[in-house]
Amino acid sequence: MHIAVLAKVVPDYEVPSMDFELSNNRAHERFSRMLGLYDENAIETGIQLKGKTSSSLTIISYGLESDIQFLRKGVAMGADKLVLVKGTSDDAGIIAQNLKQAIDNLEDVDLILAGQQSADMDRGVVPGILAQMLGTAFIPQVGYIDYKNGDWTVSQMTATGQRELEFQGPGVLSITSIPENVPRIPAVRAIFAAKKKPVIKLNGIEQGKMPLQEISVEIPKIESVCEFIDAQDPNEAVKSLLTRLSEERYI
Amino acid sequence: MAARIPYWNINYGVIIDLLAIPVILIFLYGLYLQWQGIKKGRLRVIPSITSMFQGIGTFHPAAFFVKGILNAKIYRRPASGIAHGCLFWGMVTLFVGTNLVILNIVFGLPVFNGAFNRWFMAFLLDLAGLLVLIGVVFFLLRRLFMPERLKMPEARKGFVLVGSLLGFVIITGFVMEGARLSAGNLETGAFVGNFFASSIIGKANALQIHTMTWWVHGLLALFFIAYIPFSPLVHIILAPVNCGFADPSPGVKMGVMDFSAFDDEDAEELPALGADKLSDFTRKRFLDFSSCLWCGRCQEVCPAHNTEKPLSPKGVIVTMAQKLNNTEMDETVIDSMSMEAIFNCTTCAACMEVCPVSINQPKTIMRFRQNLVMEQGQIPELMGKAVSSLEQRSHPFFGTPSGAAEWRKDLEVPVFEPGKTQYLLWIGCSITYEQRAWNIGRAMVNILQKANVSFGILEDSRCTGDPAKQMGNEFLFAEIAQQNIEDFSSLGIQKIITMCPHCYNSFTRHYPKLGGEYEVIPHAAFIKMLIDEGKLNLDTKKTGGRITYHDPCYLGRRNGLYEDPRKVISCVGNLVEMSRNKNESFCCGGGGGNYWAEETGTRINQERAREALDTNADTIAVACPFCLLMLTDGVKKYTEDTRAFDIAEIVDKFLKDIPET
Amino acid sequence: MKTLIIENIDPKKIGELMTVSRLFCDIPDIIALGEGQIPGLFGKAWQTDKTVAANLVSSVTAIIKQENYDVILMSVSTLGTGLAGPLSVALSAPVVTEVTFVHPDMVIERPVYGGKAIIKQKLESTPAILTIRRKYFETAKLEGTTESVLLDSIEQKVKLVAEKHEQTEGIPLEDADVIVSGGRGIGVSDNFTMLQHMADQFNGAVGASRGAVDEGWASPTKQIGQTGKIVAPSVYFAVGISGASQHLAGIANSKCVVAINKDEDANIFNRARFGIVCDYKKIVPVLTQAIMEDR
Repeated sequence: MHIAVLAKVVPDYEVPSMDFELSNNRAHERFSRMLGLYDENAIETGIQLKGKTSSSLTIISYGLESDIQFLRKGVAMGADKLVLVKGTSDDAGIIAQNLKQAIDNLEDVDLILAGQQSADMDRGVVPGILAQMLGTAFIPQVGYIDYKNGDWTVSQMTATGQRELEFQGPGVLSITSIPENVPRIPAVRAIFAAKKKPVIKLNGIEQGKMPLQEISVEIPKIESVCEFIDAQDPNEAVKSLLTRLSEERYI
Repeated sequence: MAARIPYWNINYGVIIDLLAIPVILIFLYGLYLQWQGIKKGRLRVIPSITSMFQGIGTFHPAAFFVKGILNAKIYRRPASGIAHGCLFWGMVTLFVGTNLVILNIVFGLPVFNGAFNRWFMAFLLDLAGLLVLIGVVFFLLRRLFMPERLKMPEARKGFVLVGSLLGFVIITGFVMEGARLSAGNLETGAFVGNFFASSIIGKANALQIHTMTWWVHGLLALFFIAYIPFSPLVHIILAPVNCGFADPSPGVKMGVMDFSAFDDEDAEELPALGADKLSDFTRKRFLDFSSCLWCGRCQEVCPAHNTEKPLSPKGVIVTMAQKLNNTEMDETVIDSMSMEAIFNCTTCAACMEVCPVSINQPKTIMRFRQNLVMEQGQIPELMGKAVSSLEQRSHPFFGTPSGAAEWRKDLEVPVFEPGKTQYLLWIGCSITYEQRAWNIGRAMVNILQKANVSFGILEDSRCTGDPAKQMGNEFLFAEIAQQNIEDFSSLGIQKIITMCPHCYNSFTRHYPKLGGEYEVIPHAAFIKMLIDEGKLNLDTKKTGGRITYHDPCYLGRRNGLYEDPRKVISCVGNLVEMSRNKNESFCCGGGGGNYWAEETGTRINQERAREALDTNADTIAVACPFCLLMLTDGVKKYTEDTRAFDIAEIVDKFLKDIPET
Repeated sequence: MKTLIIENIDPKKIGELMTVSRLFCDIPDIIALGEGQIPGLFGKAWQTDKTVAANLVSSVTAIIKQENYDVILMSVSTLGTGLAGPLSVALSAPVVTEVTFVHPDMVIERPVYGGKAIIKQKLESTPAILTIRRKYFETAKLEGTTESVLLDSIEQKVKLVAEKHEQTEGIPLEDADVIVSGGRGIGVSDNFTMLQHMADQFNGAVGASRGAVDEGWASPTKQIGQTGKIVAPSVYFAVGISGASQHLAGIANSKCVVAINKDEDANIFNRARFGIVCDYKKIVPVLTQAIMEDR
């Protein structure tokens, strides 16, 4: 079997709010680039599944050629090859078109995993678009995946609990983080081996742009002045906290 | 008075002398077997060291003599130190005496005449025997009532047998001497022999007793000598040898790793990174494992062991010694120790500092850590996050709310200009990303500006890679270090001032091996120099109150810098010492990547903070940002006041503006 | 503009979408999923008890095409997220997820970069698909009910084998007026009961940060943050939570944040209205006791 994991290289998602700045309406280039947060969960899920089902695993990304160095970490975690579709668009439609091109190129993909959302645009919509383009089912917020007798069984984390879902044939799943898919740390041997794994580069296409016009990107002003309550005596602290909360009519 | 006659009252006494030949052969064979064991270790291959002996290391005669022969370190615990001294020097004296007797027999050396006989052969040898006996009794009693450090996790076996054997040799010697004197005349000087002669043996059967004990003493002594290499007493050979081969410069000396083989297409078998089994270790480590007496002094000073954590440096060496003894070369060892224990080590080097036989415990522990991290991808979660962050964003402080330039907000800080600036002021990760540590950087900038030093910082924030190295990721360290070295040479940087001892240690110990040679000065030393040169106008009325100084492990034990920071502190306040100071200093708990540990047991920083506060000091001075952060946190358990300050912060507070001239 | 709401039968979620729909039309239509009466007054209404998004795509597409809707509204949930992407392809429609504000002329706002920035986009064609971030719009009062016709010809691409609802004792997080939330700083799983006791006294709910959920101390249904639940309580107690921007994104609409954290440098204090720098174990029991006595 062949599992594909979609991954995106994004600007550091941990940049503190105070330090965040934009250039050309995007995160400033000075921030380090790295694999997306949930993408690493998806890769980890994929690798575990690869072990269980003796599949091969391909990481697919749409982005810059300079992203390859960061995608290698994902390869080092245990993927077999990397496909990069070169392009710079942030449009969900264009990204999905390009990813579809990569998947069509691979021909034999049985399951596609993606992080629940990219750590820059935070949309979570590309996997659904891609699924529809491929004519397969899309299931968001997936935790566990199993393969039994030709059926995929997955658990979907809903707002109120969990659902167990079953389907056949290819599908696109977006992966959320669960304690079991904390990304592994690649061994040094694997890091070196990853340098020798094949990287397929495809030229991107500018098709499928969504009729959406970007107007502006702005950093919201957060105004909050924290009133610190002296904690030397817990009783006093609690008392003054409750007084302040009711004075300000919060409770 | 007539001189003693060899073989007096003994027939065929020459048999003992002849038996000595096979005994010496057995002794040598025993040592040969030890060597066979040690030889199974991997050869150390360091091309730059040309004086390598048998792949073990360079032999250092001074260390061999001072640590190995004079046993300089053993007296740190007075009781067992003195007992050991009695035993050792007593035996040395007796050995000399015995050889003199042989020389007397063979060459007729007149040792039994006059004052020499009275003072050396009679008095001193009696005294030596008595001291040995005292030592033997002390150690046998201690085997009966073992202190914690000997017992836990296990005591080395074989001491009672060999100790008792030695005791019998000495006692039979005295009885024999007593009988001889009893049959003849008492001898001036031979006070123990005389005592045995007059109070215990009497005249009656003196001749028979002499003959009998002569043989028993001789045979027992020969057996004892033959048995030495097969007993824990083999340390009389191994310990000095191990001391001689241990690099006498302070610190753990992890070296750097060469990863080029991994990139080489033709490389066949790639070496294991770190160690997870006995055969991964070098001959020097094998020598460590063989030399260890399991005395447990290391675990007694270990910050992890002292705070109920699973690590015991003794336990690690004992496990390895057992594997070596059973020649279990290729079984994985990591599984038999917990991963938690392996990551508990703060790399403070207190264990190797205290070790009487110069064992490098941290190096063994770090080899396991390297294997877990680099081969198995296993690391405790928070440390893993720190390493990932270091890899992704060039600093280990994941989740930091600070931006890279926030520490120097509203502060004019010159940037290093090639060809113009003299010193690079290296900021490092903790000062950039931990708010409490910002002020170290700000204070140091102020000090350097007031002293008119030509300095500059790098524009972007950097890390030396030390946290990765400490957490066992040599690969990441090498990558970061190489990048820094490249950038330093393009900027023409030659002189560096560090505020973090971890950075200092990296620059001085590891960067040169990767091609980066710089003149590096820790800020404590630099400030001391500025004061000496009169470049700082310091308010020296000593209004700083009582100040205690916490020695950072990476400045003190690892680099021997103890006095400069103390002198700086003494300029502004009254220095008071903690009970554990200088080379016996107790770690803050933050080393070895344990700044990012989820600590179990008592928190090390709280223990150290307690000790610091017990001095009644107003201020706890440190010279390391990690120590500052750890102790700032540790002090919070006891007081709301901020007590811990970096030495730069303290000096900055007492700086007066130099009046315009 | 003709507007269609697609939502599970849940008065709160439908209420929020109703508020949004009023920016586009007077009376929206609805496709309601689940059993029971459809709360509120709608033009047309379809209903089915099938709730797996993947199976609904084609039948919903058919209705949208047939009725020529301009705006399709869903909330951010497994349903909304599951439908948004596929529908946009099926309808060649623009899609914007996690909408937090709607301006006139089809200009909408949504957060990017973990809430560190806000992007404004204009929808240039209809139909347009929007998923609405919860707790950003008032819950409209729904009066009466609407009769529905059955939504049929539903596919069976994905089979629902089992559904487990986490026992939510008391109030759902989204509706709670007081939330006591724990993070990695809690240290051990057991201490979440301490938070539960405190929440009980406030008649509130317990939440958790991603860190605590990743540790396995709290169930994923309790996760608050950009990728968990978005909440808007009056008082949000952040206990042992460092305050990563992703977490703050989930509590942006909380009226008052009270941070209890040992680490005075924790980012949460930048968002908090009140801060207590202290070990939570010293404060939480006292606070719980104080409320208990107060009542």
